[in-house]
Amino acid sequence: MATETIKLILGQGEPLIGRLMLYDSLRMQFRDVRIRKDPNCELCGENPSITELIDYEAFCAVELPAPSGQSPEELDAAAVEISAADLKSIIESGQSMTLLDVREPHEWEINRIDPARLTPLSKFEQFISELNREDEIYLYCYKGKRSLTALKQLQEHGFKNLHSLAGGIDKWAEEVDPSMPRY
Amino acid sequence: MSASNGNRLTPEEINRYSRHVTLPEVGVSGQEKLKAASVLSIGAGGLGSPIGIYLAATGVGRIGVVDDDVVDISNLNRQIAHSTESAGQPKVETIRKRMLEINPLIRVDIYNTRLTRENALELFSQYDIIVDGSDNFQTRYLVNDAAYLTGKPLIYGSIFRFEGQMSVFHPHREGPCYRCLYSNPPPASLVPS
Ligand SMILES: [Zn+2]
Repeated sequence: MATETIKLILGQGEPLIGRLMLYDSLRMQFRDVRIRKDPNCELCGENPSITELIDYEAFCAVELPAPSGQSPEELDAAAVEISAADLKSIIESGQSMTLLDVREPHEWEINRIDPARLTPLSKFEQFISELNREDEIYLYCYKGKRSLTALKQLQEHGFKNLHSLAGGIDKWAEEVDPSMPRY
Repeated sequence: MSASNGNRLTPEEINRYSRHVTLPEVGVSGQEKLKAASVLSIGAGGLGSPIGIYLAATGVGRIGVVDDDVVDISNLNRQIAHSTESAGQPKVETIRKRMLEINPLIRVDIYNTRLTRENALELFSQYDIIVDGSDNFQTRYLVNDAAYLTGKPLIYGSIFRFEGQMSVFHPHREGPCYRCLYSNPPPASLVPS
């Protein structure tokens, strides 16, 4: 961070603008991913709603909506989980299916499973109306927990044909696609 | 950030920064830019400690440090600006002492206060660059918004356990801001304390 500061002052080198550097000290790996301006950003987007400082305590105190029924832990995970190998065969069979990645955009930047669509859990409600109840829907996240939370939300909206990738994309990278970058 | 006459290097400074001024990428003019620059560092903890120390050693002319915390022994495994004997003292006091021990030729302004929506814009407007070494989401969003609203480039970094992230946000020029990456904080119950 000090180096980036000094580069900006000197006007030398390539600053980290538009890139997110990820550092993993256990694996001793550095990775940088491209990051883009969000045209809908509430601060720097085209129609900003934040034009002065706000109440940050309140902004950060927001909780997930209280679970109306079971929590994801109480969900019968085994009944809806699918292994990485099984998901791979379903994708390769070409049968009709919807694959949703419920991670956040910065994770999607790092890796993804084709033909997934990005529907982050933090904004998941807004995507639900775009989904078809008749479809076979497969969800995945990083480790397989957030996808169960999303699956639960879909159940509450009356969806039936739901599956969650056990162990998430991390398991997928480990077992099915070793060439995939992991984080 | 061009160097004015008041920022010409003294012979003492040329000597101190000789390993910089002999680099073609820096030179005397680059070192004068560093001397003319001002940087505000948010937090004097795990990230703020090395940031403050390196910026001081490098010769950034004016460095501000904001932190309202006091040194605790359990900080010392990672917050390297502080020492065992400084336990109980304000972190900004001990980091300033350390920075000036390393380089007495710079100016260190300290703010022993919490950064808030009331003081952030006024404080940010007095510096060229903001560096965020804070450790909580409230401050991180506040710093992002205040840097944007005052038009200042922001060096962002965060650490959790064994992993870290870093970027530079300068959305007035190009690229995203922190909110472009994370439009909302994680639910409060999921934030590790
Ligand atoms: Zn933004």
